[in-house]
Amino acid sequence: MSDNQKNTTHFGYQEVPVDEKVNRVADVFHSVAAKYDVMNDLMSGGIHRIWKRITIESSGARPGHKILDIAGGTGDLTRRFAQIVGQSGKVVLADINDSMLKVGRDKLIDKGVAGNVEYVQANAECLPFEDNTFDIITIAFGLRNVTDKDAALRSMNRVLKPGGKLMVLEFSKTENPLLTKAYDFYSFNLLPKMGQLIANDAESYRYLAESIRMHPDQETLKGMMDSAGFVQTRYRNLTQGIVALHTGIKP
Amino acid sequence: MDPKLLDILVCPVSKAPLEWDKESNELVCRTSGLAYPIRDGIPVMLESEARTLTSEERLPE
Repeated sequence: MSDNQKNTTHFGYQEVPVDEKVNRVADVFHSVAAKYDVMNDLMSGGIHRIWKRITIESSGARPGHKILDIAGGTGDLTRRFAQIVGQSGKVVLADINDSMLKVGRDKLIDKGVAGNVEYVQANAECLPFEDNTFDIITIAFGLRNVTDKDAALRSMNRVLKPGGKLMVLEFSKTENPLLTKAYDFYSFNLLPKMGQLIANDAESYRYLAESIRMHPDQETLKGMMDSAGFVQTRYRNLTQGIVALHTGIKP
Repeated sequence: MDPKLLDILVCPVSKAPLEWDKESNELVCRTSGLAYPIRDGIPVMLESEARTLTSEERLPE
């Protein structure tokens, strides 16, 4: 009994064995991969595109940069970064989920993005890259699905160059009580219904809503980035804190 | 797989450099004794998906 208690973690609102979370999350994303882009547009009313654009604009990406897009899923950030870094730079799209990675690769190839983008299936907790490799690392709507977030932040710190920047774009906590109420209703009532209707999968979208509520709030995540060795950590709330963009520098 | 990737890829377990075995289409780490598959042109750098090298394979060539 006590062993079980020690070795569990949250999967949305459920407690599951640590070893199992990675498989449960994998099932969610295998299930949603094909409809992921359509659902993102629908669920957020297209606002996720603005959140991602703000991330790109505040990244400081330049031609020649090496950028790692973790949990890059279907490649929205990678596509823009590939244009910015040019042929002298490189973007690595990494995801633990092969379904997401393949949807992303096919989409980028269809859009003519090639030559400076690489694809790697990897776990954020133990990244398979040399120390001090990347100028910028982004993880957009990915960190909350990682089982050991502290290990993942340390791993990202290791593969960043000194002076390199980590950007975490993730759902967070809104402080506006009215908005919170509306957002909760939307997330727990409408969202699973939309998931059912469009992707025939209410469960996966219920997980997404629950995992957002379980994710550390702004100050907690900032503290976790400090502990992982980042400096100048800060965050910017977007859409009243429904989403927050955290940044930190590797000293 | 793009061979340029080998410049930055390491074994996620040992952090040692990898060799590309083109015959088996695997990325091999002698330090950790693991071989990572390349599927559909994408290196699968997950310990859970890696093959453990036989003791013969672990010997340096």
